[in-house]
Amino acid sequence: MTKKHTRLTWFLIFVAGSLTVVPVLMLILGSFSRGLRALGNFTLDKYISVYTDPTLGAVIGNTVVFVLGSAAFATVLALFLAYLNNRTDMPMKYAFKTLSVVPMMIPHVLFSVSWALLLNPTNGILNLVINNLFGLENSIFNIYSLGGMILVEGLLDLPIAYLIIAPAMASFDISLEESSRVSGAGTMSTLTRITLPVLRPAILASFILCTVRCLASFAVPKVLGMPGRIFVLSTYIYRTVTAGLVADYGKAAAVGMSVLAVSIILIYVYRYFTRSSERFVTISSRGFKPAVIELKKARIPLFILMIILTFMLIVLPVVVLLYTSFVPYAMVPSARAFSMMNLNHWRAVLADPISILSLKNSLFLGIVGATVGVILSIFVSYVIVKVKTRASGLLESISFLSFSFPGIVIGIGFMWFFVRTPLYATIWALLLGYIATYLPYGIRPLTSAFIQIHSHLEESSTVCGAKLLTTMRRIVVPLLVPGIISGWVLMATMFFRELSLSVILSRPGTEVLAVQILKFADDGMWGRLSALGIIMIFFSTLMVVGFNLLGSRFKFQDRDERANRKLARAG
Amino acid sequence: MEIQIKGLKKHYHSEGKVVKALDGVSVTIPANKIFTLLGPSGCGKTTLLRCIVGLESPDEGEIIIGNTTVLSTEKKIYVPTEDRGLGMVFQTYAIWPHMNVFNNVAYPLQTRKLPKDEIRQRVEKTLKFVQLEGFENRPATKLSGGQQQRVALARALVAEPKVILFDEPLSNLDAKLREETRKELRDFLGELEITAIYVTHDRVEALALSDSIAVMRAGNILEIGSPKKIYFDADNQFVADFIGRANLVRSKIVEHTENSTVVQSALGTLHCQKRDFPLGSEAILCIRPEFINLEEGDSSADQSPDQGKNRNAVEGVLETMIFVGDTYEGEIRVGSEPLMVKLPPETKLTEGSRVRFSVSQDHCLLVHG
Repeated sequence: MTKKHTRLTWFLIFVAGSLTVVPVLMLILGSFSRGLRALGNFTLDKYISVYTDPTLGAVIGNTVVFVLGSAAFATVLALFLAYLNNRTDMPMKYAFKTLSVVPMMIPHVLFSVSWALLLNPTNGILNLVINNLFGLENSIFNIYSLGGMILVEGLLDLPIAYLIIAPAMASFDISLEESSRVSGAGTMSTLTRITLPVLRPAILASFILCTVRCLASFAVPKVLGMPGRIFVLSTYIYRTVTAGLVADYGKAAAVGMSVLAVSIILIYVYRYFTRSSERFVTISSRGFKPAVIELKKARIPLFILMIILTFMLIVLPVVVLLYTSFVPYAMVPSARAFSMMNLNHWRAVLADPISILSLKNSLFLGIVGATVGVILSIFVSYVIVKVKTRASGLLESISFLSFSFPGIVIGIGFMWFFVRTPLYATIWALLLGYIATYLPYGIRPLTSAFIQIHSHLEESSTVCGAKLLTTMRRIVVPLLVPGIISGWVLMATMFFRELSLSVILSRPGTEVLAVQILKFADDGMWGRLSALGIIMIFFSTLMVVGFNLLGSRFKFQDRDERANRKLARAG
Repeated sequence: MEIQIKGLKKHYHSEGKVVKALDGVSVTIPANKIFTLLGPSGCGKTTLLRCIVGLESPDEGEIIIGNTTVLSTEKKIYVPTEDRGLGMVFQTYAIWPHMNVFNNVAYPLQTRKLPKDEIRQRVEKTLKFVQLEGFENRPATKLSGGQQQRVALARALVAEPKVILFDEPLSNLDAKLREETRKELRDFLGELEITAIYVTHDRVEALALSDSIAVMRAGNILEIGSPKKIYFDADNQFVADFIGRANLVRSKIVEHTENSTVVQSALGTLHCQKRDFPLGSEAILCIRPEFINLEEGDSSADQSPDQGKNRNAVEGVLETMIFVGDTYEGEIRVGSEPLMVKLPPETKLTEGSRVRFSVSQDHCLLVHG
């Protein structure tokens, strides 16, 4: 059994290593090479020319403001929502809990576009409405600014921040606060002196992870930054390989190296914090009812604030796209606008061969990619959790590496690799790139599923005379179903809307939805863009709902089990 | 079936340190008895159990179950767990949450590919044995702690193994249920011809259940014996201390009489159980609190039941008394030596009073320090 495990471990190290280490190596090699077709001709020219570029300073300045601003905004907002949802007598808490996670379903590029449609300075719908209301000449809001970018990126990263902070908030050992109250501290000073400091590791982890995500973000800087000529590192790299006569992948790799280095360092800092947070946040096993904090007078205003947030996060983007897809050009909603509505944009999109091809490609990548990705994740997670050797530790580090990959940078690395293979410009290049970049998103839910399967459950099957495969088939896999579902859904939705890797790797014939949307945006075809966007959201939702339904037929009621154990312990 | 374990070694390496989970353990576990491995956490008792069942592979040693060698590092024999045909009840019960009671219990028979009818019959019979008739279709998640424990027992017994292993099976139950289940378990096992190996850190459980107890510390078995032998006649200080509350007093051997060993200690000169310590050597005197007889007033003087033996009369001051329900837990100070004692709940003695007490020589136990 041990020998089998060792062989499996090294095989997986080889597979995951090829997926995650190869693009990094190619990026390094590429950054020292003369050109895409001249790999290995050592030169420092690319570094010298890029890092002496006088515009780079401003780009880095923008990047720092954008990244730190968005990460701080997302974390503070998540903290606020998590506190209200978990600890107070806010009405309809349970509805709001899903609210914070829903933006994951809306592709980033569409979310950014919808805000551009609402708040662009020339004909943003909200701006026009406000101008009409107050008789203004010029719009007050300009989404094509650093502030606008931070607002949208912060909202987009809210789910990630919330998913880290909310569990820590929910599992908080209430007696820590109670003893503070007993010692004479009020609600506010308990919050600032006990609650927040105890949650500090979770807050820092959320902030760091958001920082990495913002650094990698491409949709927002592309859709909202570039029209206002505000460049950050990701769009700077994009411009290096798309603008001008000859795309310079060497220069792009040289800049990408710094972005990647920063990301990797931050991800390891993040890991350090999440590790210590397990020590820090004390989860008591006793059944406890968290003390509910009464909001009193603030209850209704906060409730209204939550409704506005819901509106901004979920309703507004979809409604704006829907509206734009029916009106002939940008106009304030009015009787006239509604009378002019037609299906022209929808007809145009459905008749557009490239849009249809991109839909097919994205569906293929989402479904096949997620299936392959989840199968790989099952094996990797099994080894990480159940085989405790040095090799399995190595596997964990390797597969965790891509967690820090900024899509556009790693896309450049893959470019250097795929040009040398027959995979170049095929859909398989995208498939491999996606799996490599998003592998941790499949591994994480499966790892926690494996951790929940207590080793005794497997061991007792072995003692009962079952061989390894029988144990797998009858015990492990059925218990994994919830993890498999969340891993699959996460990967499928991410692949379906993938943008930053695709803008580099996608070629004529392998267009994907997000890239096609971007093309519509560049050409100013907002109507078609919105129609295709609605189609995209529809299929994305269909995948999530469909796979969840499929899975719920196998799901066992672990919540009941826990409740029962609690009963058993109490009685 | 008898189980022979020879020179079993298992070392773990963690953070640069070597942990000796098993440090060359050799023991013969008698057939058809309840044999308990008792010790504090980290003493290696669970590792030993897991080596027997094959979930852990030792670095060195040999395990023979009945006539089959299931493990020998020397002869390069390793019979995998699934082929050893043993039964085991896990600490967490390891009831599979996605199956109902029937499938949980039937599992060992299903893996042995028995015909369906026979499986049904034997599961029924076993469930009846553990008093869970009619629970077949209950989802495993809808069981109480005690019921889960019995399902786990049924699953371990259903294939009629010759050896059954228990890894702290009662530690997840609350105190009252634990006591009931302990009695039940003893009854169940008494009805079967089966060798049971039971791991626990709970001394009461070990005393109440076992035919034989092995006390372990730091990867070694220190002492093996019947519950009474371990409780009354331990040879080892750690064993004497671990198996029950004990006053441990440093003492020096001064004389060997015909039926006792005399020591000098802070309590004065005492006659103890006969042990062959050399004269002048140091030993630890071990007295359990329940065997310290306090004299109330002067009424009970000179009416000792064991008159032929030395009564070891001592004087001291009753310093504290704590009422714990069925008794008072007190502390007597003799010179500078504190002694735990038990007083009857209706005692007239009060804190601070001078008291006289005696300890029969049979309950003055001398152990190696």
